[in-house]
Amino acid sequence: MALLQLTDVRRWFGGVRAVDGVDLRLERGELRALIGPNGCGKSTLFNLISGTLRPTAGHILFNDRDITGLPPHRIARLGLRRKFQVAAVFDDLSVDDNLRVAARTKRAAVSTDALLGRLGLSGRRSVLAGVLSHGERQWLEIGMVLAAAPRLLLLDEPTAGMTVRETDATVDLIRAIASSGDVAVLVIEHDVGFLERLDCAVTVMAKGRILRSGSLANVRADEQVRSLYFGTAA
Amino acid sequence: MGAFLTWAPLLLDALSFVLVLALVALGLVVIFGLMGVINLAHGELFMLGAYTVVLAVGWGVPFWLAVVLAPIAVGAVGWLVEVLLIRRLAARPLDTILATWGLAIVLQQAAVLAFGPGSRSVARPTDATVTFAGISYPAYRLELMAIAALVLVATMALFARTRVGLRARAAIADPDMAAALGVNVRRVRAQSFVLGAALAGLAGALVAPIISVDPHMGFGFLVPAFLSILAGGGVSLGGVLGGAAIIGGADSLLGHWMSPVVSQIVVFLIAIVAIRLRAARAAGS
Amino acid sequence: MRDAPLPVALAVFAGLGLVPFVLGDYWTGQLARYVLFGLFAMSLALVWGRAGILCFGQAMFFGIGGYAMATVTLGTFAAVPFTAALPALVLAVAVAAAAALLVALFLFWGAGIGGAYLAAVTLALAAILEQAVRGWYGLGADNGLSGVPPLPLGDNPWDPRPIYFVVLAVAAAVYFGLLALLESRFGTLLTALRTNPERLAHLGYSVVALRVAVFTLGGAIAGLAGALFVATDAFASPSLIGFALSAEVLIWVALGGRSVLLAAFLAAILIRVAEAYLSETLGPWWLLTLGTLFMVSVAAVPNGVLATPLLWLQGRLRRTS
Repeated sequence: MALLQLTDVRRWFGGVRAVDGVDLRLERGELRALIGPNGCGKSTLFNLISGTLRPTAGHILFNDRDITGLPPHRIARLGLRRKFQVAAVFDDLSVDDNLRVAARTKRAAVSTDALLGRLGLSGRRSVLAGVLSHGERQWLEIGMVLAAAPRLLLLDEPTAGMTVRETDATVDLIRAIASSGDVAVLVIEHDVGFLERLDCAVTVMAKGRILRSGSLANVRADEQVRSLYFGTAA
Repeated sequence: MGAFLTWAPLLLDALSFVLVLALVALGLVVIFGLMGVINLAHGELFMLGAYTVVLAVGWGVPFWLAVVLAPIAVGAVGWLVEVLLIRRLAARPLDTILATWGLAIVLQQAAVLAFGPGSRSVARPTDATVTFAGISYPAYRLELMAIAALVLVATMALFARTRVGLRARAAIADPDMAAALGVNVRRVRAQSFVLGAALAGLAGALVAPIISVDPHMGFGFLVPAFLSILAGGGVSLGGVLGGAAIIGGADSLLGHWMSPVVSQIVVFLIAIVAIRLRAARAAGS
Repeated sequence: MRDAPLPVALAVFAGLGLVPFVLGDYWTGQLARYVLFGLFAMSLALVWGRAGILCFGQAMFFGIGGYAMATVTLGTFAAVPFTAALPALVLAVAVAAAAALLVALFLFWGAGIGGAYLAAVTLALAAILEQAVRGWYGLGADNGLSGVPPLPLGDNPWDPRPIYFVVLAVAAAVYFGLLALLESRFGTLLTALRTNPERLAHLGYSVVALRVAVFTLGGAIAGLAGALFVATDAFASPSLIGFALSAEVLIWVALGGRSVLLAAFLAAILIRVAEAYLSETLGPWWLLTLGTLFMVSVAAVPNGVLATPLLWLQGRLRRTS
C-alpha cells in the first residue's frame, strides 16, 4: 500500500474550484516535489491533506487509514507533519522548548541534541525562537516537524527567503531526511535551481488538477508544462 | 383591519429602530471591515452626535442645520482619535478593543463633566403627523427613516461603485500590495475612521429628538450594533442590514409579548447563536 | 514565559500580611475584598494573558461562585442538603468551573471562535446572565441576596483579621500553585497555544482541549474569588455577575500587565485602593483619569504598567544568576 493516497479530492470555495479532482500516490520514504504556478491549488492541497480544510469531495488515505475530514491534531498524531510557508515557530518559547513541544512525548523519539546538531542550532538552544534569523527559523521548524519521528513531511516552500548558502544546506538536509528511507517528503517549491539539486520526482499542478508527473527532465520537456510553468525560464 | 391598525405603528417603530441601528452598525462595520478595529467608543461618538444637536439647537441653530453639523463635528473628533490613538495600534488590532473601551469611558465621563449627568432633550422639528390608510404616524419619524435609508444606500454605493471604495477595498485585501500600487493606506484608514465616526454622529443627531440624551446613551446602541455586525458576518455592508434587521427587529418587537428582561435575553441568545454558526461556517469545516 | 521575580512575589504577599498590623479594622476589611478582586484578576490574566483568550465576561464565573455560595449558606434551595461554609465553598467552585466548562465547549468546539467574535459572545453571555439574575426573584432580583453568613472563623464576626488572613493565604496559594503549573509542561503548551495555535494543532495537540482546560481552570479560580467575596461582603448582588465587573477586571489586568499574574493581582488591589481614596474627592474625574490611564497604557505600554518593570527585573536577575 502507498503511504499517502488521494482519490479524486476536490475543494471548492463558492464557485472557485481550488482543487478539482486530484489523484496522488506517495510511497513510503519517497521524496517528491509539487510545483505549479501561483494559485494552482498546491497550498490548498496541503491544507486538505493536513486537515486545515475539509475536502468538498474525495478521499485521503494515510498509512491505510481514511483521514478525510479529520481535524489537524488527529492527523498529526498519525505521523503526518507539516511545515508552513511562513516559518511557524513559537516565538515566546526557547529553541529547546519548541523542539520539546514538537516531540510531544516525554522521551523524545529523536534526540534533541542530535537534532539541534543537525540543524546547526546547538549554540542557540536556550534562545527565544522570536530572536532567530529568518533562515534559523525555517530550520527550527523543519526540526520541529522531524522531532516526533514522522512518516510523512509536507514542506511548503522551505527555502523561501533564504540565501543561496542557506538554500544549499536545506537541500542537503531534505535529501538526508529522505535518504534515511523512513520518512516520505512532499515539498512545494518554485525555485528551479532548488528542484535540480533536489533531484527527485516532480508533480505539476495547474488549475486545481495534476497536469504531469515524472522526473524533472521529463516534466521540463513536456510542451504543456513548458508553456504553463517554465515559460521563459526553460 | 383592526389588527392592521395596531400592527402598523409597531412595525414602523421597529423599522425606524432597525434603520438607526443599521446606521450605527454601518459606521462600526466601516471601521471594523476596513481597518480591523473594534471601536467600542462608537456608542460615545453616537452620543456626541446627539449632544451636538442639543447644544446647537440651544444656541439657536435651526434643527436641520444642526443635523448636518453633527456628523462634521463627530467626524473631526474621529480624525483626532485616529491620529492620536488608533494609528498607534495598527499592528495590534485586538488591543484596539481595549483602547477604544478606555476612550469610551473617557468620552462618557467628559460628557458628564461638560453637560451634567442628567438627560437632555431637543424638540422635534415638527409635531405633524401623517395619516395614511387610517394610521397616524409622526412625520419626523418618517423623515428620519427616509434619511437613514438614503445614507445607508449612499454609503454602500460609495464603496461598491467609486474609486474611493475601490482603493479602500484594495487597502483591506492586501495593504502591502495596495501601498505598492500607490494607494495611501494610512490615509484610507484615517478616512474610514472619520467616515465611521461621522455615521455614528449622524445617527445620534437623528434620534436626539425622539430619545432622551444623556452621557450613557451610547452603550444601549453599541451592544446591539456590535452584535448586529458580527451576526451579519463582520465585513459585508449588506450583512449589516441583515444583522440589524434581526437584532433590532427582534429587540423592538419581542418587547410587546414578553417582559423587557426576557426579550433582551432572547435577542442576545439569537445573536450569540448567529455569531457562533457564522464563525464555524467561515472556518470552512 | 516567566512571571514576576520570586523575591518580589514573596515580598508582596509578606507585605500584605503585615497590613492588619499597620492599618485599622476598616481598611483590613476593605483590603480583604480587594485581595479577592486581585485573585479574580489573576484568573483573567491566566486565561487572557497566558492562553490568549480575550474574555469579556469573566465576571460570569465570579458571580456564579458568589451566588452559589450565598444560596447554599442561606439555604435558599431546599435541594441542597447542607448550609455549612466549607462544603458551600467547594460546591461554589465546582458550579463556577462547570459553567466555565460549558461556556468553553460552546466557544471552542470544532473550529471555535476567537478575537472580536469571542469578545462579543462572552460580553453578550455576561449581559444575558446579569439580566437573568436581575429578573430571578428566587435570587433576590435587583436587590440581590443579603445577610450571607460570614466564614466561621473565631468567635468575633466583627474582627476582619481572620478573614483577611484566610483570603490572603488562599490568594498566595493560588498564585504559587499557578506558578508551579505554568513552569510545568502545561505552561509551556499554554505559551505555545497563545503564540501559534495553528502550529500547535499541526504538531498533534488538541487546541480545543487546551483552551477548554485553561478556561475551566480560570472559571474555577474566578468562582473561588467570588464565593469568598460574597462571604466577606455578606452580600451577593447582580453587579457581581455582569458586564460592568467583567469590563472592570479587564481594565485592571490590562493596566497591570496581562501576562504577569502578580502584576494583575497587584493592579486590581492598587486600583481599588486608589478608587477608595480618590473617587470621593475626584468625583467624575476619577473615572476620567482611570479611563485615560487605561487608554494611554494600552497604546504606550502594551505589556502593562506593573508587568513591564517586573519583567525587566526578571530578565536582569536571570542574567546575573
